[in-house]
Amino acid sequence: MVRYVRLLQLFFRTELQYELEYRLNLVLEIIQTVVVTGTSVAAILVLFSYTTILNGWDLSAMLVLLGCFYLVQGFGELVLQPSFEKFMEHVRLGTLDFALLKPASAQFLVTVRNFQVVQLAQMGLGAIVVAVGLSRIPSIGLAEAIGFPIALLCGFGLIYALLLALSTFAFWFVRVDNLMALYWSFMDAGRFPVDVYPGWLRVTLSSAVPIGVAVTVPAQVIAGRLDPLGLGLLMLGTIAAFVLASWFWRLGLRSYTGASA
Amino acid sequence: MTDAVVDVRELRKTFRVTEREEGLAATLRSFVKRHRKDVNAVAGITFRIGPGEVVGFLGPNGAGKTTTLKMLSGLLHPSAGEASVLGYVPWRRENAYLGRMTLLMGNRTQLVWDIPAADSFRVLQEIYRIPEGQFRSTVNELTELLELQELVHKPVRNLSLGERMKVEFAAGLIHSPSVAFLDEPTIGLDISMQVRIRRFVAEYNRRTGATVLLTSHYMDDVVALCKRVIVIHRGRLLYDGPLADLAERMAPYKIITATLHDGAASSTDLDAYGTVVSREEGRVTLRVDRQVAPERTGRLVNDLGSRLADISVEDPPIEEVIDRVFTSEQTTVSA
Ligand SMILES: Nc1ncnc2c1ncn2[C@@H]1O[C@H](COP(=O)(O)OP(=O)(O)OP(=O)(O)O)[C@@H](O)[C@H]1O
Ligand SMILES: [Mg+2]
Repeated sequence: MVRYVRLLQLFFRTELQYELEYRLNLVLEIIQTVVVTGTSVAAILVLFSYTTILNGWDLSAMLVLLGCFYLVQGFGELVLQPSFEKFMEHVRLGTLDFALLKPASAQFLVTVRNFQVVQLAQMGLGAIVVAVGLSRIPSIGLAEAIGFPIALLCGFGLIYALLLALSTFAFWFVRVDNLMALYWSFMDAGRFPVDVYPGWLRVTLSSAVPIGVAVTVPAQVIAGRLDPLGLGLLMLGTIAAFVLASWFWRLGLRSYTGASA
Repeated sequence: MTDAVVDVRELRKTFRVTEREEGLAATLRSFVKRHRKDVNAVAGITFRIGPGEVVGFLGPNGAGKTTTLKMLSGLLHPSAGEASVLGYVPWRRENAYLGRMTLLMGNRTQLVWDIPAADSFRVLQEIYRIPEGQFRSTVNELTELLELQELVHKPVRNLSLGERMKVEFAAGLIHSPSVAFLDEPTIGLDISMQVRIRRFVAEYNRRTGATVLLTSHYMDDVVALCKRVIVIHRGRLLYDGPLADLAERMAPYKIITATLHDGAASSTDLDAYGTVVSREEGRVTLRVDRQVAPERTGRLVNDLGSRLADISVEDPPIEEVIDRVFTSEQTTVSA
């Protein structure tokens, strides 16, 4: 366990060193992130200048939600997107062999291997937006204070499980980039609370693509709109999704034979 | 021999491949009904390798060498048969086994392109749980043997193919494995780099006593490193024994080269002594049956007398022997 934490640090540090070599690129990416985040905050402010409540969500809750969205999306783009893209490349080129030859969890070595360090900026901004939203809420109970980080972690876990399951298809079909692209476009829909969407879309967003859950639930906790039972179910669901996705991945691995060389 | 490091019995691997014809219509049809074909990549091979041996694993393209090495390193499940390496069943992929073996592939890299190899080494140290002291001394030793000083601090993408291969060797051996499977480690390298890699493998084997199974299409690699060779063709074992005996077993002839003083070799009729393979200025090369080679040589010396400047009797070049083996369908010969 300690070894895996140390490995994670190593992975992160080497990627950081690499990205620091391209300083201009780093600066540009950060500016872009600030602009994008700023625009969505502005859009919400505009929206709330016409109304004070959107489907039961007031401005503070909406800000928390938007912050959560950037936290979850930032997490996805920080480590999951680069790692899973690399993973599919490994399957295509047959270099996945090297991960399988190591006396350590191949799933770990592959799925959290690569980082886009710049995306920390997105997560940082997300955290700031969450903080601003929270500061506007007069009182936050202990239950909410504990529930919020748990719900957020579950959100990360759900996104990971989903991407893991999706990328597993690479073992059979090799090229699954489109599937992943589809995922990222769904991701964008998480910017608004799931309950503002019409029924059918809501179901899709929160079940097939758990982005709705990953983003909305933490915000719901803060807004006092989620009971302990809901939170418990979320935790169970996350663990189940993780176990199931890992099992599916190992199943895919078994049919992997490596590109002939 | 129960202390074999590698023990392979009747190992088989059959790939099921989908055949697809050209064209859209065929592609659509294959969507509905797929034509499957079985490829017997490895069709039942048996051999044993003792500790510290360096064995050459030879065979033409598609013979099943890589497939065998992948099974022995646990990447592929065999379709049938058994194998044990260091007492482990490779495809169970126990960490204890994976930590003691390595598979190096000349045409693939495990190094991360964008970062210097030294950083990848650190990651490997953590993965293999190598204590700091041991890590330092291994890296120092490999750096010295492979002359890596500058190379490990440059991003891998900036290295030449040969330099990358040297670094690749260091990465693959950083955990001091007792068994090394080397799949075409010198592919694409220039002659001097090939020589250096060869020297390194020999020296590494001498220092660590590691068992090495090596494939290569360059016979020089094999001649320099392997006393013993295993030859396979179409997934079957053709020969397993000393390299020195390969020619005797597989090529039942010798090559006699006679050099004549008067440069009249082109006109001299030597067909009576054997099959003339080539005729150049003053030099004739004959192929004769192994059994009669001494007698023919004697006659040549006698008959040509003082016209003869030089004569030699040799086994055919190893490449030629191998080529003969591959082009003729022979049954298993074991020494
Ligand atoms: N993953 C795979 N799927 C289907 N067929 C495969 C696969 N890998 C190898 N084969 C087939 O198995 C046979 C043996 O291949 P293998 O790679 O073991 O040969 P090799 O001896 O290493 O050849 P080379 O000298 O060209 O590297 C070939 O006919 C190859 O096409
Ligand atoms: Mg091969």
